[in-house]
Amino acid sequence: MPGKTPDKEPVENGGYRGGKDMEMKDKDLKPKGKKSIKDGDDEMTVVVQPSKASKQASAPPPNDADGDVAMDDLDKAEDGQVKVDPIVQAINDIKSNFALLDRAVVLFDARFTLRALRSISSIRKRLTPDILAQVISETFTTASPSSHIAKALLTAIGRPDVSLGRQPGPEMEIDSDPKASAKNGVKKETRDNIPEIDIFLGILTQVILFDTKQFKLGFEFSSYLAGRVQSLNRRTLDSLSAKVYFYYSLFSEQLAPLPPSPQSPIVSIRPTLLAALRTAVLRKDIDTQASVIVLLLRNYLLTSHIAQADLLVSHTQFPENAANNQVARFLYYLGRTRAIQLRYTEAHEHLTAATRKAPSSACALGFSQTATKLLMVVELLMGDIPDRATFRQPTMELALHPYFLLVQAVRVGNLEDFETIIADHVDTFKRDGTYTLILRLRQNVIKTGIRMMSLSYSRISLRDICIRLHLGSEESAEYIVAKAIRDGVIEATLDRERGFMKSKEVGDVYATREPGEAFHDRIRACLALHDESVKAMRFPMNQHRLELKNAQEAREREREMAKEIQEGDLDEDDLGGEFEGM
Amino acid sequence: MAERQLTQVLTQLKSQSSSLSYADASSLLSKAKLLLLQLNALTPASTSNPTLLGLARETYEQGALASIRAKNPDAFTRYVSQLAAFYELPASALAPNAAERNKVTGLYLLLLLTQGRYAEFHSELEALSTREDGNDVEGDRYLGYPIRLERWLMEGSYDRVWKAMKKGEVPCEEYGIFSDILTLQIRSEIASSSERAYPSLPLSSTKSLLFLDSEGAVIDFARSRGWIIKDGQLFFPSANAAQEAGEEAEQEKETSQMIIENTLGYARQLETIV
Repeated sequence: MPGKTPDKEPVENGGYRGGKDMEMKDKDLKPKGKKSIKDGDDEMTVVVQPSKASKQASAPPPNDADGDVAMDDLDKAEDGQVKVDPIVQAINDIKSNFALLDRAVVLFDARFTLRALRSISSIRKRLTPDILAQVISETFTTASPSSHIAKALLTAIGRPDVSLGRQPGPEMEIDSDPKASAKNGVKKETRDNIPEIDIFLGILTQVILFDTKQFKLGFEFSSYLAGRVQSLNRRTLDSLSAKVYFYYSLFSEQLAPLPPSPQSPIVSIRPTLLAALRTAVLRKDIDTQASVIVLLLRNYLLTSHIAQADLLVSHTQFPENAANNQVARFLYYLGRTRAIQLRYTEAHEHLTAATRKAPSSACALGFSQTATKLLMVVELLMGDIPDRATFRQPTMELALHPYFLLVQAVRVGNLEDFETIIADHVDTFKRDGTYTLILRLRQNVIKTGIRMMSLSYSRISLRDICIRLHLGSEESAEYIVAKAIRDGVIEATLDRERGFMKSKEVGDVYATREPGEAFHDRIRACLALHDESVKAMRFPMNQHRLELKNAQEAREREREMAKEIQEGDLDEDDLGGEFEGM
Repeated sequence: MAERQLTQVLTQLKSQSSSLSYADASSLLSKAKLLLLQLNALTPASTSNPTLLGLARETYEQGALASIRAKNPDAFTRYVSQLAAFYELPASALAPNAAERNKVTGLYLLLLLTQGRYAEFHSELEALSTREDGNDVEGDRYLGYPIRLERWLMEGSYDRVWKAMKKGEVPCEEYGIFSDILTLQIRSEIASSSERAYPSLPLSSTKSLLFLDSEGAVIDFARSRGWIIKDGQLFFPSANAAQEAGEEAEQEKETSQMIIENTLGYARQLETIV
């Protein structure tokens, strides 16, 4: 298969690439080995575009395996079509975001910035230090005042000797997209880059460093970037800076000593995050505010500083119209805090909302799994049994299996099973951070057990209860049952002299106000949903001005008409006069 | 100089810990704290010298234990929060003393438990589980005790709590101080569950049920809770029947009011939506 050979080659070449000189050599060398095969291949299929093919061969190769795979796939998929080199494609993709950022600044609309940020996930797969270095070198000129920023970026991705202000390769400029590059060139000459662009490139750098696991370097770079974001006071940077802090804290979590230990670097970034939060609140920067609150909560929970997390929540107000993902995360962490504090009803409310708000696509599967796990434990703690359907979802089934067994044990009220399941899956539960919560379930298992007994028998001796629930002694059983009666778990009475429990008749649920309450809850949820959808409706910005303008025009027309009529009136008057005169 | 004095004070505190009266202990402690202040080691700083940090930590630990012996929960809580800063230090800056630390933490847990501050109790527990050596929290002599007690209290196995306190599972004398409070606590728990669970109780067996020493004590206890004693049987004045009926009517009224309110609300919402 001829297509394979040229694709393998870049890996070997990529190793020694590192500077401009090398690259030149690459360019010189490549066509010899690579071009011959590839050109032949292409020219067979696409006879019309020989120049394009040659350009493709000379473009810098990706130097990681991912790039290769992507290239391979592309080759296969686009076989027989006009091919665009994935690298050029990636570069163009990155650059197309600059236009979005530009528009965001000009129109002062954060939606364009968000769109640029959303594209990161697709660029991420193809991103390599070389691609980024090229983008940086083409975006910044040596003369521009922000060149030192570009230098910092290049140093961070390990390409410090790539020179700035390089024009896109001649072939590329002519062949690939003459209009775009010409436009880029013009732009570069006319004015310096807006800070949004270099922060965006900074974020891409963070992504690269994170994907290549250079956590130490990434942490240092991020603190530099965070400092820069702090110093720039531009509202159009808001969503970008939120992202910067996000990666900043992500890096710190990966550094040794890892989180649970109190010496972890995540403790040291708290002041920075808190300062960022304060600034964000003062600037009414909703994106950063939401993002940093979430990061801080995560930070506190990682080191189990529950009290601090609680204080943070009580002293800050989470922005109402924050991005959906941040809201979901915030609700999850809040639910977690509340669950630890035994405020299960609140925890349940928050976690349900979190699982519902979680994106349903596969990319956020981890989050929904984690949130669902916690939600289940909280439901169990509240004495409810999670829905069987949750465990059947194909994406959840495997991850939730230990919890499924747990639910079964709790539902039946079998203390022995419960203990063995905990013992079997202790590592899973500890990893999920639900272990301490699950240990609290013991009393629920007992209560369920007692409830089952009370439902099945109208009269049962304490001795039997003790044996069936594997309680230590009859005395324990007596106290436990008495407590269950007081807590309203069962309706029964105890007879101490003869040592048995006598169940009372269960009343009709439909005679109580419970169905009405459930009905009311549901209606309230629907109404809230409706209200939120109304609130979430978006209207194009300044549309009302257009309408106003229209209205003004209309008014003018009216005035004109009135004028005409007035004039007409005059005529009429004249006429009238005439009439009068008549 | 100050350091030597501090060591002296500490040895004095430790050697006579049980015989020292609280007044003496607190005067010694404030002396120690003054010395710490002179040495600039009241709170840990990155530059502090490890031996000084160790001394400071010991001072606070002794202070915590002394205030527990004096049944002064506020002072104890203060010492615990001061100690938190020292316990967070890395092992390189200050060699950890797990036994003392667990002792103080366990006492703190017990305090939270007896004061009914369950949310804080569980937060503290969560923090324990993420400690580096946190794998065997329950197996620890000091930490396991409050954790087990909490579990039994939650379940309702009061007899186990009682046995644990009687059978000398109490890890050290400071923990014993809480036993009295706990006994009172479980007794009132049992009493309130009994009021609901039993139609009546024979006087004789109530003694063991409530962990009381004599029938006389049972009678005193019953009087204090307003129970009726008749023919060697205890009767619980079920919450007055008349009052209950009134409550029910009230509830009925409340329910209908709620339903009316809800329905009106739906109507209003429908109006706005359509």
